[in-house]
Amino acid sequence: MRNSLFKKLLSGPYIFWIVGFTVLPLLVIAYYAFTQNGQFTLANITAITQYAHWKALAISLVLALLCTFVCLLISFPLALVLRNLSLAKGHLARGRNNMIVMLFILPMWINFLLRSYAWQMILSRNGLLNGFLSLLHLPKLHIYNTPWAILLGMIYDFLPFMILPVYNAMIKIDQDVINAAYDLGATKQTTLRKIIFPLSLPGIISGITMVFVPSISEFAIANLLGGGKILLIGNIIEQEFSEGNNWNLGSGLSLILMIFIIISMLFTAKYDKNGEGGTLL
Amino acid sequence: MANKLIELCGISKSYGSNQILDDMNLYFNENRFLTLLGPSGCGKTTTLRIMAGFETPDTGKVLFDGVDITNMPPNKRPLNTVFQKYALFTHMNIAENIAFGLKIKNKSKAYIDDKIKYALKLVNLDGYEKRMPDSLSGGQQQRIAIARAIVNEPKVLLLDEPLGALDLKLRQSMQYELIRLKNELGITFVYVTHDQEEALTMSDTIVVMNQGYIQQIGTPEDIYNEPENAFVADFIGESNIISSTMVEDKLVNILGTNFKCVDVGFGQNRPVDVVIRPEDIELLSPEKGIITGRVTSVLFKGVHYEMEVMANGREWLVHSTVMKNVSDEVGLYVDPFNIQIMNKPESEDEEAVKIDA
Amino acid sequence: MKRFIKQFYVGLIFFFLYVPIAVLFVLSFNDSLSRVHWGGFTLKWYTELVENAPLMDALVNTLLLAVASAGIATILGLAACIGMTAMKHSSRQVLTMIAQIPMLNADVVTGIALMLLLARFMNLSFGSVLIAHITFNLPYVILNILPKLKQIGTSTYEAALDLGASPAYAFFKIVLPEIFPGVLTGFLLAFTMSLDDFSVTYFTKGPGFETLSTTIYGELRKGIKPQMYALSTLMFLVVLLILFIINRQSVKEERKIKQQKKKHSLSRTALCLMLFLLPVTLSGCGKQKENYQNEITVFNYSEYIDPEVLEIFEEETGIHVNYEEFATNEAMYAKLSSDAVSYDLLGPSDYMIEKLMKEGRLQKIDKSKIPNLKNLKKNCLESCESFDPGNEYAVPEFWGTLGLLYNTKMISETEVSSWDCLFDEKNKGNIIMSNDMRNSIGIALKKLGYSINSSNPKEIKEATDLLIRQKPLVQAYLTDETRDELVAENAAIGVIYSGEAYLAMEYNEDLAYSVPEEGSNVWFDCFVMPKDAPNKEGALKFLNFMLREDIASMNFEYVYYTTPNQAVIDSQPDDIKYDDCIFPTDEMVSRGEPFTYLGAKGEKLYSESWKRLKSR
Repeated sequence: MRNSLFKKLLSGPYIFWIVGFTVLPLLVIAYYAFTQNGQFTLANITAITQYAHWKALAISLVLALLCTFVCLLISFPLALVLRNLSLAKGHLARGRNNMIVMLFILPMWINFLLRSYAWQMILSRNGLLNGFLSLLHLPKLHIYNTPWAILLGMIYDFLPFMILPVYNAMIKIDQDVINAAYDLGATKQTTLRKIIFPLSLPGIISGITMVFVPSISEFAIANLLGGGKILLIGNIIEQEFSEGNNWNLGSGLSLILMIFIIISMLFTAKYDKNGEGGTLL
Repeated sequence: MANKLIELCGISKSYGSNQILDDMNLYFNENRFLTLLGPSGCGKTTTLRIMAGFETPDTGKVLFDGVDITNMPPNKRPLNTVFQKYALFTHMNIAENIAFGLKIKNKSKAYIDDKIKYALKLVNLDGYEKRMPDSLSGGQQQRIAIARAIVNEPKVLLLDEPLGALDLKLRQSMQYELIRLKNELGITFVYVTHDQEEALTMSDTIVVMNQGYIQQIGTPEDIYNEPENAFVADFIGESNIISSTMVEDKLVNILGTNFKCVDVGFGQNRPVDVVIRPEDIELLSPEKGIITGRVTSVLFKGVHYEMEVMANGREWLVHSTVMKNVSDEVGLYVDPFNIQIMNKPESEDEEAVKIDA
Repeated sequence: MKRFIKQFYVGLIFFFLYVPIAVLFVLSFNDSLSRVHWGGFTLKWYTELVENAPLMDALVNTLLLAVASAGIATILGLAACIGMTAMKHSSRQVLTMIAQIPMLNADVVTGIALMLLLARFMNLSFGSVLIAHITFNLPYVILNILPKLKQIGTSTYEAALDLGASPAYAFFKIVLPEIFPGVLTGFLLAFTMSLDDFSVTYFTKGPGFETLSTTIYGELRKGIKPQMYALSTLMFLVVLLILFIINRQSVKEERKIKQQKKKHSLSRTALCLMLFLLPVTLSGCGKQKENYQNEITVFNYSEYIDPEVLEIFEEETGIHVNYEEFATNEAMYAKLSSDAVSYDLLGPSDYMIEKLMKEGRLQKIDKSKIPNLKNLKKNCLESCESFDPGNEYAVPEFWGTLGLLYNTKMISETEVSSWDCLFDEKNKGNIIMSNDMRNSIGIALKKLGYSINSSNPKEIKEATDLLIRQKPLVQAYLTDETRDELVAENAAIGVIYSGEAYLAMEYNEDLAYSVPEEGSNVWFDCFVMPKDAPNKEGALKFLNFMLREDIASMNFEYVYYTTPNQAVIDSQPDDIKYDDCIFPTDEMVSRGEPFTYLGAKGEKLYSESWKRLKSR
């Protein structure tokens, strides 16, 4: 098959690229992880058992799971409502659909740090939120510099990555399939549970991956909104690289983190029948 | 008269400025094969969706066995739908698809298994329980969609252009299957299609619709032989529709020549539309015809020849088993009984016709 | 009612997504350099935008980088996806797995790994940043295109071949239009990722190349300049406007040609965006690199040199300055370790200078070539000897103290004369500590009466335990934001550098600065010369120039940190000359101790103690 060979060759530059700029750097990291002063060691890997490290990993895991869960909790009903909005007269209004997609991407075009700064101003002790609450004679909220603020920041930052795939999976469900369920006697809840949810599962799965992976390695939000009082595993890695000057330890912990991420991806791949990983859109 | 199973009273529906149905009235009885026929956009699918409960009419009522079900959600209605694109649940296997409605009704497992077997047998797909919908052909998927609906033992099965996506051969065999199914189940089928041949083959009652109005209701024979207006005549089968003048009772002037006919009561010198089916025109030798013309084209169609004959300044479509050659001079003869006279419509928005089905 | 709830819900989520942007929008009209201080309404940040050449350069660089990296990644990824469809399932799966690796790693790790690799065979410049961005953009492209390709299958493509189309024609006319939405979203996401990246850009860029992200991080120390808010707001509004126009048109068109094949309105969105970006991008490409025979490369703390000063230097000497900034000593060290760029001058702090010295990375400075050294304050040079004996390597740039910024309405002056106030239960929740481990551990050591440079494990454990006990009292550990928090009166006391404190007091007159009696850190940021400096002569000229009275004075007025230049100090009016925040008294300096290098062991000890504190 000459044609197929030619097609395969098209992947050439890409394969060259990922070997050169993805696999090789990964080997550099692995080299640092398994050595200390040029000698082979496993110490950087086993370092995860130290209290500070595994606690950070545990907190990161919990926060990432919570963040993923809340994002899903917000996105699923939102996608449902948006689906109804874009299905004008039973067919997809393409313009409106694109508009919705862009409206979720657009906030990301403002620099992350600027947006986080804006959140600081909203959440801080004398910030906008508390100003608003005291106007209403409500008690002030003290979530700034707490894990809740980190969680909020993460949800804010990663929410579009959940909304988009879930919405896109849902928009693909034929309205008649849903009608068929009603027609067969299913209530709205049953239809949601047995038809809409399973059919949007591919989107949900890729949403989970897209949110969980970056949130477990997150560190900047913890510094900006958590008041630096909590160490996430991302903070530790970042600190080893940029402050502690111990790249070996940083690399070792990175590898551990990657293992966790790969496990989570394998878990999601199990539910992804196409085996093509997540489809964002 | 038997009791009315479903009755639509004064149904109107519009999307924005687009009026889909206007004051529609229709009813039908048990054990019928009723077809809603019309071009796309005529409101037939909307009518079906209103019966199923996916749409709520702006005005009017839907009665089922005399009970108002206008605002009853689809999941409570005792009727089931077969969708145009099957709408199978792709994440469930065939057995799960079929069992869906039964499980919701909390039927016993034995009952459900029994029903699945029965339904699959009915649609000639025994042993497909564990297959996934994606692995079936279009015709098979369609039959599963039917099986999924009928296990719920609905009084009425609504079918929305169910054969539209199938190829000709498959469509034809499915037509026979549907007729067989209807007879075995003894329930009413409401069938939506834009394919007049399909309608003529399967139905016992056809409702011809156009632009939100019912144009004619009748048996396939009625609709074919006695179209109420030019639209029906044109839409059902091929025909020559000619603007003519009713000279007096039983005499019509078509393109300058007087033809005998059997219709009375149109008044004198009234403009009318005349419908003549191509197979009702006999080709004779020139001197025997009412008018004479010249053959301009001949096509062999298997059972007959399709010819166009130029006569009185018009191309006449003729189906005949007798072959003529192009440029042959022929005489055209039409039996008075086969000339169908229709009033010219006053406007497009002609009043809906109310006829007992 | 139900409908209302649904709409309310959608509204709420959009509100959540857009409320921070609304805040930035408001800030862009704030006539004050501090984000927590409302100085009245102004449009000047918008009018100043165009004149702000570095910012415009950064904008052009950012857009150029985003368009190019997203574009190349899209082409590479598209070709790869087509190839992958022809592959066996298993090899395709391996490739998709590998494709996602850049998404998995923390940015810093990806950034440093790429820097180490790229520095081996190319100069760190636009090219290296581009490669890095393409690398992390690829997964987003692949993940969007591959499923679309799989979805359409091969039949339409084969049909086109059957009709006599060449493979290329069939691809562009049949396959591409079908998968276009996926290609486009992939491109848009890649564009977005590139736009927002800081870490990878920082490590893979070279001197003289700034993007909006790196500019923003550089401005953190002094507070982000409001022009940045104006620029962001403007960019956002332009894109939003384009979107709305396109949406209106496509809705109209959809009404008109209901059944006809619709053009991808998304593609037109992109086209318009490109048209909007193109002139900007082209102007970037068209910009000619000026040719200098003579140039020096300087790597300095962010916001430490008035850009005008550099221009004057270039005019006077004809030597071009490649200027690059860093935010922390450690970030500078990481960059330096890659040996990717040969710098002529670095501007690190005391302990880092000692570290570089001990690692043999620095060379002695030929003092005879810098006559203006005479302008330097005597006791300042003496203090520098603690890390640079004999003043052989370092030429002080700015210096200052570490102290307490406090709100006089909330806490008394007597209290802040001791570090004890930071450990007092009564101030619970009103304390902001430093997020720099040496500062915070140093303070604890001082309070316990030890040296700020202790590397005695017992003393450090004691200090760490003290900090752990203190942690419940602390509102936050911050660095750059301490100033804003105190100006906004979100806290009563904060650990802060003297220069920042001065800025804060400008915005809130209730604030005051104190250096506790137990003594504190005195810090020095100095110029040093790496061993392999390519233009030693130029660098020495630059040093002499920087010490000239008029130049040092200009720079002082730009930075408002303590200058070591005696001539400048003497020329200041009394209220500044005797402000002990800007110019610490000799007594304050004598109580202070500069940081020294602790050695690899000491560094590790501190790092572990810091983690112990933070993980409580």
